[in-house]
Amino acid sequence: MSQAVLDKLKERFGTAILETSSSFGDETAVVEPSQWKSVCTFLREDPALDFDMPVDLCAVDYPNRAPRLEVVMHLYSVPLRHRIRLKARVGDEDANGAELDSVTAIWPGMNWLERETWDMSGVRFRGHPDLRRILMYPEFEGHPLQRTYPADRTQPLVAYRTEGEAGMPLGKLEPFGPDEGMPFGRDALPRSEES
Amino acid sequence: MPTFKLDGKPIPFDAGETIIKAAWKQGVDIPHYCWHPGLSAPANCRMCLVEIAPKPGARPVTLDVLEWDAKAGTYRTTQKPKLQPSCYTAAAEGMEVLSDSSEHVRKARRDVQEFLLLNHPVDCPICDQSGECKLQDYWLEHGRYQKRMRDEPVHKPKGVVFGPTIVYDGERCVMCTRCVRFMAEVAKDPVLDMRERGNLNEIFVAPGRQLDGHYTFMTEHVCPVGALTTKDFRFKARVWFLRTASAVCQGCATGCNAHLDYDPRYNRAYRYRPRDNEKVNQFWMCDEGMLTYKQAHDGRLVQAKVRGEAASMAQAFEEAKSLFAGVPKESVGLVFSAAHSVEDNWMLREVGATVLGSRSFYASGAADGYEDRILIHRDKNSNTAGVKQIAPSAKALQALVEDVGSGRVTHVIALGAAAASATDALRGATVITVAAHQGPLADVSTILLPATSWAEQSGTYVNSKGIKQVSDKALEPLGASRPAWRHLLDLAGALGYEVSTTSLKQIRAQVLGGATVEALAPSPVTAPAE
Amino acid sequence: MEPVYAELEEGELELPAEPMHLNMGPSHPAMHGTVRIVLDLSGETIVRADVQVGYLHRGFEKMCERGTWAQVFPYVDRLNYVSPMLNNIGYALAVEKLCGLAVPERCQWYRTILGELARLSDHLTCNGAMAMELGAFTPFLWLVKAREMVWDILEEETGARLTHSFGRIGGMANPPSADFKGLCRATLPKILGLVEEGEKMLLKNRIFIDRLENVGRISGADATALGWTGPCLRSTGVAYDVRKAHPYLKYDEVDFDIPVGTKGDTLDRFLVRLGEIRQSIRIINQALERMADDGPISCDDPRFVLPEKDGVYTTIEATIQHFKLIMEGAKVPKGEVYSYTEGGNGELGYYLVSDGTGTPYRVRIRPPCFQITGGLSKLLEGRMLSDIVPTFGALNMIGGECDH
Repeated sequence: MSQAVLDKLKERFGTAILETSSSFGDETAVVEPSQWKSVCTFLREDPALDFDMPVDLCAVDYPNRAPRLEVVMHLYSVPLRHRIRLKARVGDEDANGAELDSVTAIWPGMNWLERETWDMSGVRFRGHPDLRRILMYPEFEGHPLQRTYPADRTQPLVAYRTEGEAGMPLGKLEPFGPDEGMPFGRDALPRSEES
Repeated sequence: MPTFKLDGKPIPFDAGETIIKAAWKQGVDIPHYCWHPGLSAPANCRMCLVEIAPKPGARPVTLDVLEWDAKAGTYRTTQKPKLQPSCYTAAAEGMEVLSDSSEHVRKARRDVQEFLLLNHPVDCPICDQSGECKLQDYWLEHGRYQKRMRDEPVHKPKGVVFGPTIVYDGERCVMCTRCVRFMAEVAKDPVLDMRERGNLNEIFVAPGRQLDGHYTFMTEHVCPVGALTTKDFRFKARVWFLRTASAVCQGCATGCNAHLDYDPRYNRAYRYRPRDNEKVNQFWMCDEGMLTYKQAHDGRLVQAKVRGEAASMAQAFEEAKSLFAGVPKESVGLVFSAAHSVEDNWMLREVGATVLGSRSFYASGAADGYEDRILIHRDKNSNTAGVKQIAPSAKALQALVEDVGSGRVTHVIALGAAAASATDALRGATVITVAAHQGPLADVSTILLPATSWAEQSGTYVNSKGIKQVSDKALEPLGASRPAWRHLLDLAGALGYEVSTTSLKQIRAQVLGGATVEALAPSPVTAPAE
Repeated sequence: MEPVYAELEEGELELPAEPMHLNMGPSHPAMHGTVRIVLDLSGETIVRADVQVGYLHRGFEKMCERGTWAQVFPYVDRLNYVSPMLNNIGYALAVEKLCGLAVPERCQWYRTILGELARLSDHLTCNGAMAMELGAFTPFLWLVKAREMVWDILEEETGARLTHSFGRIGGMANPPSADFKGLCRATLPKILGLVEEGEKMLLKNRIFIDRLENVGRISGADATALGWTGPCLRSTGVAYDVRKAHPYLKYDEVDFDIPVGTKGDTLDRFLVRLGEIRQSIRIINQALERMADDGPISCDDPRFVLPEKDGVYTTIEATIQHFKLIMEGAKVPKGEVYSYTEGGNGELGYYLVSDGTGTPYRVRIRPPCFQITGGLSKLLEGRMLSDIVPTFGALNMIGGECDH
């Protein structure tokens, strides 16, 4: 049912659509990474296609293949009720250089999905307004969903950040002091010599 | 090349080759139990039956069979084509063979599988073959039925000790006779045979004999089910926890290709399995070689020593630096090891000869031993030819003992600890030994640096026929051991020299003139040598 | 800033110029699960809201690559943990799509009923919790009492109130219990009664309506572009429900409506969920009529479904089947598929990549509330501090699903 979408894409972009396939009821098109944004814009704006809902964006790691990371995007059109899966293959054998254009400007919902794909698989999105980790903490090293990331790897402990890094005061603000939350009788605490 | 069609796919074959052999060479699997590419074909399991279309103009050969007609509620006679065993039928040009695409073949496989499992004991939870068992694999792929027999299965002897290495279980046996044929055809010692008939069949050892010799482990290897198990491996590990590395046996100069199975959770090697290589070992390995996997853990040196006392690596290198400072290059002797890889020996030459300037080369290794005409070589070192290529002028270890005695050589850098002759006299010299296993050269060493064994590093070994083979890394280095070439590199650094080749990739590029590791992989099997 | 007790002239009081940082930290009674919202406040108005998720990230997708296909079921249970049956069924349908399996008809009805019971549990929790956070504790207790009744049915069927791990590739773990239908039919009217009582309490309450109406408004086009699905999208007027648009299981054989809102504000989301509770009860009643009382629950394909246990202990064939499925995993054919069902929060999608072995190559879970929470900062900007709680509550962000 979405074969028409694949046909339109091939007609419009020609060789930028590297391959298309149809299996288990899903239609897939593999796109040249440099044409990622133009293909997405076309899918959004062409009235016969009208893909207005960004369904999903993720990356799959194929370490024995070059390019290694395959970014997979699913789109849906609510009025026309058809779907498409777009793929782009990026990254060298060490998963470096995996970059794609951000499509946050086309679908705002892609903002968090692109952050998650960056966080988990290490694919950078050029032009993303705020590309930082979303599921992991900022000091995390590595990209967990890459197949070469060992599942039993431990991360270094994070020291308390400075106030500059945290962007807010650390510790308790006045007038709360070290005895915050203690029972009413503040004399129950041992006092140091200097008060 | 003549071809025949298998399920519509053209398969090339050599003259006289059977259908199953030609298909196997192309990577197409026709299910089988009793056939083995290295043994004769008895066609007794009937699993490889295929439907061969009759020659044009010829009448098809059919059999009368009874088929249950559910609608009429009675049996009726129909015809089915006579299926041929593909392990025994020679391929012919233009032949059309139907394997997976024929309904009759699929039904035949299902029925053969049912018969084979009819009296089979419910041993999967305790059977060592679990996880690599053809009965399991073929039931899921070709059987997929549930048991119809309501009677008690036939019981046969279980846990029969055949000899010092092998235990037999009669109930699990499918009577494929692979073990019988192996002992007769390859090991040239027909000590096993089948007795009784029908469903009382079992394998037994000739009266007055045991299943002994140098190739008994191979009977377990060819057994497609868990009937034959080795005393060495049984109940030790479950195969789905084991990972595999392509290794080269270090037992002798034949350099049989092997799979080293190890458990990464405990970092332990559990067994060897032979790896097919037409040019080196065909499909087999000897018992002594199969047991050399134990050397990954037994007798290992895992800590640095200075004058026999345990020390840290830093202390050992400090000591080496002070002992070797200002030594004239004529007094330095290098001992290459026929038991270490080409890369280790090359680095010794680089550090000792090119950098330190020594010109006194010697070679050490284990003493000669038993040999036979099948696989076992007299030279019990895996890389004698490799050392010959790196240091052709290396003299025997005896010469080093004499040179130390006469005072010509005062400082020795030795790779490997094995020695075929007496070495006590070497205590008079300053000896740095870089070795993985204990041995005479380690006992006389002043400084001992623990090296990784062949299982813990990737290394190239040259066998007696001059074939270069790479053994892959399996285990993580034990204790403080590191690859020998890395120790030698750091030794050069401690002595103040810089060596530009610092990684295994670079060493290989130097040694092999730029050839990649893949170029050394063994060639795929084509046909067994006669 | 001067101490408050000092003597000050009127014009001398300095007001701070920069916005105040307020951290609604991950540990907070109203931050369903664990979500951190870092707020820049100007007085009570929110200038900027930075929603930070990920505190409940447990690495499901990575762990799925280290087991078998059947071992993924406990993981997907713990995604939307208030409606785990929907996650189970969604994943089972995804794997069955890849394997080309069709489950028996009785199982399809059974899955429909259990799925709708899970949806009831989800909506009851969301509405109850939202009411509680606004101060209405009693309706929360009533709705949770109704939820307990749903969980009693599920406990009778599966053995667990939550995280049942009941789905299997090719069917369900067990057939329906003997009095499943009777139990459901007796419980549903009670649930409806409790919901109606809660509604009467809340929807006539001026304060409750004021706190929800026109708060957190979003248009249909914006919601679609953000990737919203489920009750949150339907509250804006876009009538997209996977059960109607792309029917699966038996949804095309039962009558039900899709409640749709108009304004896309928090009140609409609350009402849409109440409407869906009634529609779910309607679906369950029809399905109970149609479900057969006997028949197989799992398809009998030995490549995917476990054999009967007494066969496993006595016959070699069943032992082999059991062994192969447990130790090596069901060998799902090579390929990839994206399968989607209507979860409690919207389109729950599974993108599965199989390399032909018993271990999944990649299991990507498309969590509906991830996209929905992504739109939270947009909803909050310009609103007041006290609007955060109802807005966030109505989105029904379940931490386990958002952070997977």
